[in-house]
Amino acid sequence: MLDFKHTDRTRREFEALTLEHLDPLYSAALRLTKNERDAEDLVQDAFLRAFRFFDKFERGTNMKAWLFKILTNTFINRYRRRVKERTVVEGAARETTSDKFIVKETNESAVNPEQYFFDKLLSDDVLRSIDGLPIDFRLVVILADLQEFSYKEIAEIIDVPVGTVMSRLYRGRKLLQKNLLGYAVAQGVVAGSRAMDLGVEVEVEGEILEFKRRAR
Amino acid sequence: MHPMPLECRDLSTFLPAYVDGEFAGTETAEIEDHLTGCAECRREVSVQEGLKAAVRRAAPALAPIELREAVREKLRDAEGPPGRWDAFLRNPFGVGLAAAAVGAAVWFLAGGLTHPILPGGRSPLLEDGISLALHGRQLPLDYTGSDASAVQDWLGKRLPFAARVPRLPNGSLQGVRLSQLRSHPAALVAYDLPRAGGRVSLVIVDDPEEASLPGTARQVANRQVWLSRSRGYNVVSWKTNEIVYQLISDLDEQDVLQLVQAAELR
Repeated sequence: MLDFKHTDRTRREFEALTLEHLDPLYSAALRLTKNERDAEDLVQDAFLRAFRFFDKFERGTNMKAWLFKILTNTFINRYRRRVKERTVVEGAARETTSDKFIVKETNESAVNPEQYFFDKLLSDDVLRSIDGLPIDFRLVVILADLQEFSYKEIAEIIDVPVGTVMSRLYRGRKLLQKNLLGYAVAQGVVAGSRAMDLGVEVEVEGEILEFKRRAR
Repeated sequence: MHPMPLECRDLSTFLPAYVDGEFAGTETAEIEDHLTGCAECRREVSVQEGLKAAVRRAAPALAPIELREAVREKLRDAEGPPGRWDAFLRNPFGVGLAAAAVGAAVWFLAGGLTHPILPGGRSPLLEDGISLALHGRQLPLDYTGSDASAVQDWLGKRLPFAARVPRLPNGSLQGVRLSQLRSHPAALVAYDLPRAGGRVSLVIVDDPEEASLPGTARQVANRQVWLSRSRGYNVVSWKTNEIVYQLISDLDEQDVLQLVQAAELR
Protein backbone atom coordinates (compact mmCIF):
# COMPACT_ATOMS: atom_id res chain seq x y z
CA MET A 1 0.00 0.00 0.00
CA LEU A 2 1.04 3.49 -0.66
CA ASP A 3 1.92 5.81 2.14
CA PHE A 4 -0.60 8.60 1.72
CA LYS A 5 1.56 11.18 3.34
CA HIS A 6 3.02 13.21 0.56
CA THR A 7 6.60 12.34 0.95
CA ASP A 8 9.42 13.04 -1.39
CA ARG A 9 9.08 9.50 -2.69
CA THR A 10 5.36 9.90 -3.39
CA ARG A 11 6.02 13.11 -5.23
CA ARG A 12 8.68 11.55 -7.38
CA GLU A 13 6.41 8.67 -8.25
CA PHE A 14 3.65 11.13 -9.05
CA GLU A 15 5.96 13.19 -11.26
CA ALA A 16 7.18 10.10 -13.06
CA LEU A 17 3.59 9.04 -13.83
CA THR A 18 2.10 12.40 -14.70
CA LEU A 19 4.62 14.81 -16.19
CA GLU A 20 4.70 13.00 -19.52
CA HIS A 21 1.10 14.16 -20.02
CA LEU A 22 1.96 17.82 -19.51
CA ASP A 23 1.95 18.77 -23.19
CA PRO A 24 -1.44 17.22 -24.02
CA LEU A 25 -2.95 18.70 -20.86
CA TYR A 26 -1.60 22.12 -21.72
CA SER A 27 -2.90 21.85 -25.31
CA ALA A 28 -6.36 21.06 -24.02
CA ALA A 29 -6.18 23.74 -21.33
CA LEU A 30 -5.24 26.30 -23.96
CA ARG A 31 -8.35 25.51 -25.99
CA LEU A 32 -10.54 25.51 -22.91
CA THR A 33 -9.33 28.80 -21.42
CA LYS A 34 -8.36 30.37 -24.76
CA ASN A 35 -5.32 32.10 -23.37
CA GLU A 36 -1.88 31.03 -22.25
CA ARG A 37 -1.90 32.53 -18.80
CA ASP A 38 -5.15 30.89 -17.74
CA ALA A 39 -4.06 27.65 -19.40
CA GLU A 40 -0.90 27.56 -17.30
CA ASP A 41 -2.86 28.29 -14.14
CA LEU A 42 -5.39 25.62 -14.98
CA VAL A 43 -2.69 23.02 -15.62
CA GLN A 44 -0.93 23.86 -12.36
CA ASP A 45 -4.17 23.63 -10.41
CA ALA A 46 -5.06 20.35 -12.06
CA PHE A 47 -1.66 18.87 -11.19
CA LEU A 48 -2.01 20.00 -7.59
CA ARG A 49 -5.48 18.52 -7.30
CA ALA A 50 -4.30 15.30 -8.89
CA PHE A 51 -1.42 15.16 -6.40
CA ARG A 52 -3.83 15.70 -3.53
CA PHE A 53 -6.05 12.88 -4.76
CA PHE A 54 -3.18 10.67 -5.85
CA ASP A 55 -4.20 8.05 -3.29
CA LYS A 56 -7.54 7.75 -5.13
CA PHE A 57 -5.81 6.84 -8.35
CA GLU A 58 -5.80 3.11 -9.03
CA ARG A 59 -2.38 2.02 -10.14
CA GLY A 60 -2.37 0.50 -13.57
CA THR A 61 -5.49 2.32 -14.80
CA ASN A 62 -5.57 5.07 -17.38
CA MET A 63 -3.51 7.92 -15.94
CA LYS A 64 -4.01 10.21 -18.91
CA ALA A 65 -7.81 9.92 -18.73
CA TRP A 66 -7.71 10.44 -14.97
CA LEU A 67 -5.68 13.63 -15.36
CA PHE A 68 -8.03 14.89 -18.05
CA LYS A 69 -11.01 14.27 -15.82
CA ILE A 70 -9.40 16.38 -13.12
CA LEU A 71 -8.42 19.08 -15.60
CA THR A 72 -11.95 19.18 -17.00
CA ASN A 73 -13.60 19.32 -13.59
CA THR A 74 -11.22 22.00 -12.41
CA PHE A 75 -12.01 24.04 -15.48
CA ILE A 76 -15.76 23.64 -15.16
CA ASN A 77 -15.82 24.39 -11.44
CA ARG A 78 -13.48 27.30 -11.32
CA TYR A 79 -12.37 28.72 -14.61
CA ARG A 80 -15.51 28.59 -16.59
CA ARG A 81 -16.95 31.39 -14.52
CA ARG A 82 -13.77 33.38 -14.64
CA VAL A 83 -12.67 33.03 -18.23
CA LYS A 84 -14.63 35.36 -20.40
CA GLU A 85 -15.88 33.65 -23.49
CA ARG A 86 -14.45 35.61 -26.33
CA THR A 87 -16.42 36.29 -29.48
CA VAL A 88 -15.60 33.90 -32.27
CA VAL A 89 -13.68 36.23 -34.51
CA GLU A 90 -12.86 39.86 -34.35
CA GLY A 91 -13.16 41.55 -37.69
CA ALA A 92 -9.62 42.89 -37.60
CA ALA A 93 -8.08 39.51 -36.91
CA ARG A 94 -10.04 38.04 -39.74
CA GLU A 95 -8.80 40.67 -42.14
CA THR A 96 -5.16 40.13 -41.38
CA THR A 97 -5.33 36.45 -42.18
CA SER A 98 -7.27 36.76 -45.38
CA ASP A 99 -4.25 37.56 -47.55
CA LYS A 100 -2.55 34.36 -46.46
CA PHE A 101 -5.18 32.31 -48.18
CA ILE A 102 -4.63 31.08 -51.66
CA VAL A 103 -7.58 32.41 -53.52
CA LYS A 104 -6.95 30.89 -56.90
CA GLU A 105 -8.11 27.34 -57.19
CA THR A 106 -5.68 24.92 -58.75
CA ASN A 107 -6.31 21.66 -60.55
CA GLU A 108 -5.61 19.91 -57.31
CA SER A 109 -8.87 21.17 -55.93
CA ALA A 110 -10.84 19.50 -58.66
CA VAL A 111 -9.56 16.03 -57.78
CA ASN A 112 -10.47 16.03 -54.09
CA PRO A 113 -12.12 19.27 -53.09
CA GLU A 114 -12.54 18.32 -49.44
CA GLN A 115 -8.90 17.40 -49.01
CA TYR A 116 -7.85 20.57 -50.76
CA PHE A 117 -10.07 22.70 -48.64
CA PHE A 118 -8.88 21.27 -45.32
CA ASP A 119 -5.23 21.39 -46.35
CA LYS A 120 -5.59 25.07 -47.08
CA LEU A 121 -7.14 25.89 -43.74
CA LEU A 122 -5.01 28.12 -41.58
CA SER A 123 -4.28 26.82 -38.13
CA ASP A 124 -5.36 30.16 -36.70
CA ASP A 125 -8.77 29.82 -38.30
CA VAL A 126 -9.12 26.27 -37.04
CA LEU A 127 -8.21 27.38 -33.54
CA ARG A 128 -10.65 30.27 -33.64
CA SER A 129 -13.35 27.93 -34.85
CA ILE A 130 -12.71 25.52 -31.99
CA ASP A 131 -12.65 28.41 -29.54
CA GLY A 132 -15.97 29.57 -30.91
CA LEU A 133 -17.77 26.35 -30.04
CA PRO A 134 -20.00 26.31 -26.96
CA ILE A 135 -18.14 24.63 -24.12
CA ASP A 136 -20.01 21.28 -24.17
CA PHE A 137 -19.18 20.76 -27.83
CA ARG A 138 -15.69 22.21 -27.55
CA LEU A 139 -14.86 19.77 -24.80
CA VAL A 140 -15.78 16.64 -26.76
CA VAL A 141 -14.07 17.91 -29.91
CA ILE A 142 -10.88 18.55 -27.93
CA LEU A 143 -11.03 15.15 -26.29
CA ALA A 144 -11.90 13.20 -29.42
CA ASP A 145 -10.07 15.01 -32.20
CA LEU A 146 -7.11 16.56 -30.44
CA GLN A 147 -6.44 13.94 -27.77
CA GLU A 148 -7.98 10.96 -29.53
CA PHE A 149 -9.68 9.51 -26.51
CA SER A 150 -12.25 6.80 -27.23
CA TYR A 151 -15.93 7.60 -26.74
CA LYS A 152 -15.96 5.43 -23.66
CA GLU A 153 -13.01 7.33 -22.15
CA ILE A 154 -14.64 10.65 -22.98
CA ALA A 155 -17.89 9.49 -21.37
CA GLU A 156 -15.95 8.74 -18.18
CA ILE A 157 -13.98 11.96 -18.28
CA ILE A 158 -16.98 14.25 -18.61
CA ASP A 159 -19.43 11.95 -16.81
CA VAL A 160 -22.11 11.57 -19.45
CA PRO A 161 -23.42 8.52 -21.35
CA VAL A 162 -21.64 7.44 -24.54
CA GLY A 163 -24.72 8.41 -26.56
CA THR A 164 -24.40 11.98 -25.32
CA VAL A 165 -20.72 12.00 -26.32
CA MET A 166 -21.73 10.89 -29.81
CA SER A 167 -24.42 13.47 -30.30
CA ARG A 168 -22.28 16.30 -28.91
CA LEU A 169 -19.44 15.29 -31.15
CA TYR A 170 -21.73 15.13 -34.15
CA ARG A 171 -23.14 18.56 -33.50
CA GLY A 172 -19.76 19.98 -32.47
CA ARG A 173 -18.16 18.91 -35.72
CA LYS A 174 -21.07 20.26 -37.74
CA LEU A 175 -20.68 23.64 -36.04
CA LEU A 176 -16.94 23.60 -36.54
CA GLN A 177 -17.39 22.79 -40.19
CA LYS A 178 -19.88 25.58 -40.57
CA ASN A 179 -17.62 28.13 -38.89
CA LEU A 180 -14.65 27.16 -41.01
CA LEU A 181 -16.56 27.26 -44.24
CA GLY A 182 -17.96 30.60 -43.18
CA TYR A 183 -14.45 32.04 -42.95
CA ALA A 184 -13.39 30.47 -46.19
CA VAL A 185 -16.41 31.80 -48.06
CA ALA A 186 -16.07 35.26 -46.57
CA GLN A 187 -12.43 35.36 -47.61
CA GLY A 188 -13.08 34.09 -51.10
CA VAL A 189 -11.22 30.83 -50.73
CA VAL A 190 -14.30 28.82 -51.47
CA ALA A 191 -17.18 29.98 -53.57
CA GLY A 192 -20.58 29.93 -51.95
CA SER A 193 -21.68 27.20 -54.31
CA ARG A 194 -18.64 25.13 -53.37
CA ALA A 195 -19.56 25.47 -49.71
CA MET A 196 -22.87 23.89 -50.57
CA ASP A 197 -20.99 21.17 -52.42
CA LEU A 198 -19.03 20.48 -49.27
CA GLY A 199 -22.23 19.48 -47.63
CA VAL A 200 -22.87 22.36 -45.32
CA GLU A 201 -25.68 24.78 -45.55
CA VAL A 202 -23.91 27.99 -44.84
CA GLU A 203 -25.86 31.17 -44.73
CA VAL A 204 -23.48 32.60 -47.24
CA GLU A 205 -25.05 35.98 -47.81
CA GLY A 206 -25.44 36.60 -44.11
CA GLU A 207 -21.87 35.59 -43.36
CA ILE A 208 -20.43 37.90 -45.98
CA LEU A 209 -22.56 40.82 -44.91
CA GLU A 210 -21.55 40.22 -41.32
CA PHE A 211 -17.90 40.06 -42.30
CA LYS A 212 -18.08 43.29 -44.27
CA ARG A 213 -19.89 45.00 -41.45
CA ARG A 214 -17.19 44.01 -38.97
CA ALA A 215 -14.35 44.88 -41.27
CA ARG A 216 -15.58 48.41 -41.60
CA MET B 1 -31.90 -0.86 -55.86
CA HIS B 2 -30.97 0.43 -52.43
CA PRO B 3 -33.35 2.72 -50.65
CA MET B 4 -30.55 5.31 -50.63
CA PRO B 5 -31.99 8.38 -48.94
CA LEU B 6 -33.17 6.45 -45.94
CA GLU B 7 -29.88 4.67 -45.50
CA CYS B 8 -27.96 7.91 -45.75
CA ARG B 9 -30.11 9.50 -43.13
CA ASP B 10 -29.60 6.51 -40.87
CA LEU B 11 -25.91 6.65 -41.42
CA SER B 12 -25.23 10.33 -40.93
CA THR B 13 -25.36 10.22 -37.13
CA PHE B 14 -23.03 7.22 -37.10
CA LEU B 15 -20.43 8.63 -39.44
CA PRO B 16 -18.48 10.43 -36.71
CA ALA B 17 -18.18 7.15 -34.82
CA TYR B 18 -17.05 5.45 -38.02
CA VAL B 19 -14.45 8.16 -38.67
CA ASP B 20 -13.26 7.83 -35.06
CA GLY B 21 -12.81 4.09 -35.45
CA GLU B 22 -15.38 3.29 -32.78
CA PHE B 23 -17.09 0.45 -34.62
CA ALA B 24 -16.32 -3.23 -34.60
CA GLY B 25 -15.56 -5.23 -37.74
CA THR B 26 -19.12 -6.15 -38.76
CA GLU B 27 -20.49 -2.65 -38.32
CA THR B 28 -17.54 -1.19 -40.16
CA ALA B 29 -18.11 -3.61 -43.02
CA GLU B 30 -21.77 -2.63 -43.21
CA ILE B 31 -20.92 1.05 -43.39
CA GLU B 32 -18.20 0.52 -45.92
CA ASP B 33 -20.60 -1.48 -48.00
CA HIS B 34 -22.86 1.51 -48.15
CA LEU B 35 -19.98 3.93 -48.79
CA THR B 36 -18.90 2.01 -51.89
CA GLY B 37 -22.17 2.84 -53.53
CA CYS B 38 -22.80 6.30 -52.12
CA ALA B 39 -20.72 9.28 -53.21
CA GLU B 40 -22.65 11.57 -50.89
CA CYS B 41 -21.68 9.68 -47.75
CA ARG B 42 -18.13 9.17 -48.99
CA ARG B 43 -17.79 12.90 -49.26
CA GLU B 44 -19.21 13.34 -45.78
CA VAL B 45 -16.60 10.89 -44.43
CA SER B 46 -13.90 12.78 -46.28
CA VAL B 47 -15.08 16.08 -44.79
CA GLN B 48 -15.13 14.66 -41.29
CA GLU B 49 -11.69 13.13 -41.67
CA GLY B 50 -10.31 16.38 -43.01
CA LEU B 51 -11.82 18.28 -40.13
CA LYS B 52 -10.43 15.88 -37.57
CA ALA B 53 -6.97 16.09 -39.13
CA ALA B 54 -7.17 19.90 -39.25
CA VAL B 55 -7.94 20.04 -35.53
CA ARG B 56 -5.11 17.64 -34.79
CA ARG B 57 -2.70 19.73 -36.85
CA ALA B 58 -3.71 23.08 -35.47
CA ALA B 59 -4.25 22.57 -31.80
CA PRO B 60 -1.37 20.68 -30.17
CA ALA B 61 0.81 22.96 -28.11
CA LEU B 62 3.99 22.35 -26.20
CA ALA B 63 3.85 23.39 -22.60
CA PRO B 64 6.27 26.24 -21.90
CA ILE B 65 9.41 25.08 -20.18
CA GLU B 66 8.65 27.35 -17.21
CA LEU B 67 5.33 25.58 -16.70
CA ARG B 68 7.08 22.28 -16.16
CA GLU B 69 9.26 23.82 -13.48
CA ALA B 70 6.33 25.72 -11.97
CA VAL B 71 4.35 22.49 -11.65
CA ARG B 72 7.29 20.78 -9.95
CA GLU B 73 7.73 23.72 -7.64
CA LYS B 74 4.06 23.62 -6.66
CA LEU B 75 4.22 19.91 -6.01
CA ARG B 76 7.26 20.38 -3.80
CA ASP B 77 5.45 23.10 -1.91
CA ALA B 78 2.42 20.84 -1.57
CA GLU B 79 4.60 18.35 0.24
CA GLY B 80 4.94 20.91 2.98
CA PRO B 81 8.14 22.29 4.46
CA PRO B 82 8.72 19.59 7.10
CA GLY B 83 8.56 16.73 4.64
CA ARG B 84 10.78 18.60 2.34
CA TRP B 85 13.55 19.17 4.81
CA ASP B 86 13.24 15.68 6.26
CA ALA B 87 13.76 14.41 2.79
CA PHE B 88 16.67 16.71 2.39
CA LEU B 89 18.43 15.42 5.46
CA ARG B 90 17.90 11.83 4.42
CA ASN B 91 19.09 12.45 0.91
CA PRO B 92 21.02 15.62 0.29
CA PHE B 93 20.73 15.28 -3.46
CA GLY B 94 17.02 14.62 -3.48
CA VAL B 95 16.05 18.25 -3.34
CA GLY B 96 15.14 20.14 -6.42
CA LEU B 97 16.25 23.32 -8.04
CA ALA B 98 15.41 25.61 -5.15
CA ALA B 99 18.20 24.02 -3.21
CA ALA B 100 20.51 24.27 -6.16
CA ALA B 101 20.44 28.01 -5.69
CA VAL B 102 21.84 27.56 -2.21
CA GLY B 103 24.38 25.39 -3.89
CA ALA B 104 27.70 24.51 -2.44
CA ALA B 105 27.08 25.77 1.11
CA VAL B 106 24.09 23.49 1.72
CA TRP B 107 25.92 20.68 0.12
CA PHE B 108 28.79 21.14 2.49
CA LEU B 109 26.52 21.19 5.56
CA ALA B 110 24.87 18.00 4.42
CA GLY B 111 28.24 16.31 4.45
CA GLY B 112 28.16 15.61 0.75
CA LEU B 113 31.47 17.23 0.07
CA THR B 114 34.27 14.85 -0.61
CA HIS B 115 36.74 17.35 -1.96
CA PRO B 116 37.19 20.95 -0.96
CA ILE B 117 36.09 23.56 -3.42
CA LEU B 118 39.13 24.79 -5.21
CA PRO B 119 39.87 28.34 -4.15
CA GLY B 120 40.23 30.88 -6.90
CA GLY B 121 39.24 30.44 -10.54
CA ARG B 122 35.72 29.48 -9.55
CA SER B 123 33.17 29.81 -12.25
CA PRO B 124 29.50 30.30 -11.42
CA LEU B 125 28.56 28.57 -14.64
CA LEU B 126 30.66 25.57 -13.71
CA GLU B 127 29.41 25.41 -10.15
CA ASP B 128 25.78 25.71 -11.18
CA GLY B 129 26.28 23.17 -13.91
CA ILE B 130 27.60 20.67 -11.39
CA SER B 131 24.76 21.42 -8.98
CA LEU B 132 22.24 20.93 -11.74
CA ALA B 133 23.80 17.63 -12.71
CA LEU B 134 23.99 16.34 -9.14
CA HIS B 135 20.44 17.25 -8.25
CA GLY B 136 18.96 16.51 -11.61
CA ARG B 137 20.26 12.97 -11.66
CA GLN B 138 18.26 12.19 -8.54
CA LEU B 139 14.98 13.20 -10.19
CA PRO B 140 12.94 11.47 -12.86
CA LEU B 141 13.88 12.07 -16.46
CA ASP B 142 11.38 13.87 -18.65
CA TYR B 143 12.19 11.64 -21.57
CA THR B 144 13.85 8.28 -21.43
CA GLY B 145 15.56 6.86 -24.45
CA SER B 146 18.88 5.46 -25.55
CA ASP B 147 18.83 6.79 -29.09
CA ALA B 148 20.76 10.06 -29.32
CA SER B 149 18.89 11.40 -32.33
CA ALA B 150 15.49 10.63 -30.79
CA VAL B 151 16.53 12.43 -27.61
CA GLN B 152 17.82 15.32 -29.71
CA ASP B 153 14.55 15.53 -31.62
CA TRP B 154 12.58 15.53 -28.40
CA LEU B 155 14.75 18.33 -27.05
CA GLY B 156 14.51 20.24 -30.30
CA LYS B 157 10.78 20.65 -29.77
CA ARG B 158 11.17 21.93 -26.25
CA LEU B 159 14.26 24.09 -26.06
CA PRO B 160 14.51 27.50 -27.67
CA PHE B 161 17.86 26.46 -29.17
CA ALA B 162 19.19 23.47 -31.05
CA ALA B 163 20.98 21.21 -28.60
CA ARG B 164 23.10 18.39 -29.91
CA VAL B 165 23.10 15.13 -28.07
CA PRO B 166 26.38 13.27 -28.58
CA ARG B 167 26.76 9.52 -28.62
CA LEU B 168 29.26 8.27 -26.10
CA PRO B 169 30.76 4.99 -27.33
CA ASN B 170 31.20 3.57 -23.83
CA GLY B 171 28.20 5.27 -22.34
CA SER B 172 24.60 4.25 -22.54
CA LEU B 173 22.25 7.16 -22.94
CA GLN B 174 19.47 7.15 -20.35
CA GLY B 175 17.45 10.16 -21.35
CA VAL B 176 17.05 13.81 -20.62
CA ARG B 177 15.59 16.16 -18.07
CA LEU B 178 14.57 19.74 -18.78
CA SER B 179 15.81 22.26 -16.30
CA GLN B 180 17.13 25.73 -15.85
CA LEU B 181 20.65 26.99 -15.35
CA ARG B 182 20.95 30.51 -13.96
CA SER B 183 17.34 31.06 -15.09
CA HIS B 184 18.11 29.99 -18.65
CA PRO B 185 16.46 26.91 -20.14
CA ALA B 186 18.84 23.98 -19.97
CA ALA B 187 18.92 20.27 -20.57
CA LEU B 188 20.51 17.56 -18.51
CA VAL B 189 21.46 14.56 -20.61
CA ALA B 190 22.09 11.46 -18.54
CA TYR B 191 24.48 8.67 -19.47
CA ASP B 192 25.53 5.59 -17.57
CA LEU B 193 28.90 4.01 -18.04
CA PRO B 194 28.26 0.29 -17.61
CA ARG B 195 31.89 -0.73 -18.04
CA ALA B 196 33.55 1.95 -15.95
CA GLY B 197 30.65 1.72 -13.50
CA GLY B 198 29.98 5.42 -13.34
CA ARG B 199 27.80 8.17 -14.63
CA VAL B 200 28.25 11.04 -16.97
CA SER B 201 25.97 14.05 -17.11
CA LEU B 202 25.94 16.56 -19.89
CA VAL B 203 24.47 19.97 -19.14
CA ILE B 204 23.49 21.96 -22.21
CA VAL B 205 22.61 25.63 -22.01
CA ASP B 206 22.37 28.39 -24.56
CA ASP B 207 25.02 30.81 -23.45
CA PRO B 208 23.32 34.18 -23.05
CA GLU B 209 25.98 35.55 -20.74
CA GLU B 210 28.76 34.78 -23.19
CA ALA B 211 30.72 33.36 -20.34
CA SER B 212 34.27 32.29 -20.95
CA LEU B 213 34.68 28.66 -20.14
CA PRO B 214 36.60 27.76 -16.99
CA GLY B 215 39.68 25.59 -16.73
CA THR B 216 42.68 24.81 -18.84
CA ALA B 217 42.38 24.69 -22.59
CA ARG B 218 42.94 21.34 -24.26
CA GLN B 219 42.81 20.23 -27.84
CA VAL B 220 40.67 17.13 -28.24
CA ALA B 221 39.78 15.75 -31.66
CA ASN B 222 40.41 19.10 -33.35
CA ARG B 223 38.20 20.81 -30.86
CA GLN B 224 39.05 23.27 -28.16
CA VAL B 225 37.74 22.10 -24.81
CA TRP B 226 38.32 23.28 -21.27
CA LEU B 227 39.10 20.91 -18.48
CA SER B 228 38.41 21.85 -14.90
CA ARG B 229 37.88 20.16 -11.60
CA SER B 230 35.49 21.05 -8.82
CA ARG B 231 33.92 19.23 -5.90
CA GLY B 232 35.59 16.04 -6.95
CA TYR B 233 34.23 16.08 -10.47
CA ASN B 234 36.09 16.52 -13.68
CA VAL B 235 34.28 18.80 -16.08
CA VAL B 236 34.98 19.16 -19.76
CA SER B 237 33.33 22.19 -21.33
CA TRP B 238 33.04 23.29 -24.91
CA LYS B 239 30.95 25.55 -27.08
CA THR B 240 29.23 24.82 -30.36
CA ASN B 241 27.26 27.61 -31.99
CA GLU B 242 27.34 29.60 -28.76
CA ILE B 243 25.74 26.72 -26.91
CA VAL B 244 27.67 25.62 -23.86
CA TYR B 245 28.14 21.91 -23.17
CA GLN B 246 29.46 20.77 -19.81
CA LEU B 247 30.29 17.15 -19.42
CA ILE B 248 30.47 16.27 -15.76
CA SER B 249 31.81 12.98 -14.51
CA ASP B 250 33.69 11.33 -11.71
CA LEU B 251 36.08 9.68 -14.12
CA ASP B 252 39.69 10.77 -13.82
CA GLU B 253 41.16 13.35 -16.12
CA GLN B 254 42.62 10.97 -18.66
CA ASP B 255 39.46 8.88 -18.98
CA VAL B 256 37.13 11.81 -19.32
CA LEU B 257 39.26 13.34 -22.07
CA GLN B 258 39.30 10.00 -23.86
CA LEU B 259 35.55 9.85 -23.57
CA VAL B 260 35.19 13.26 -25.17
CA GLN B 261 37.67 12.31 -27.86
CA ALA B 262 35.68 9.19 -28.72
CA ALA B 263 32.32 10.94 -28.55
CA GLU B 264 30.68 11.87 -31.79
CA LEU B 265 30.50 15.59 -31.23
CA ARG B 266 28.37 16.56 -34.15
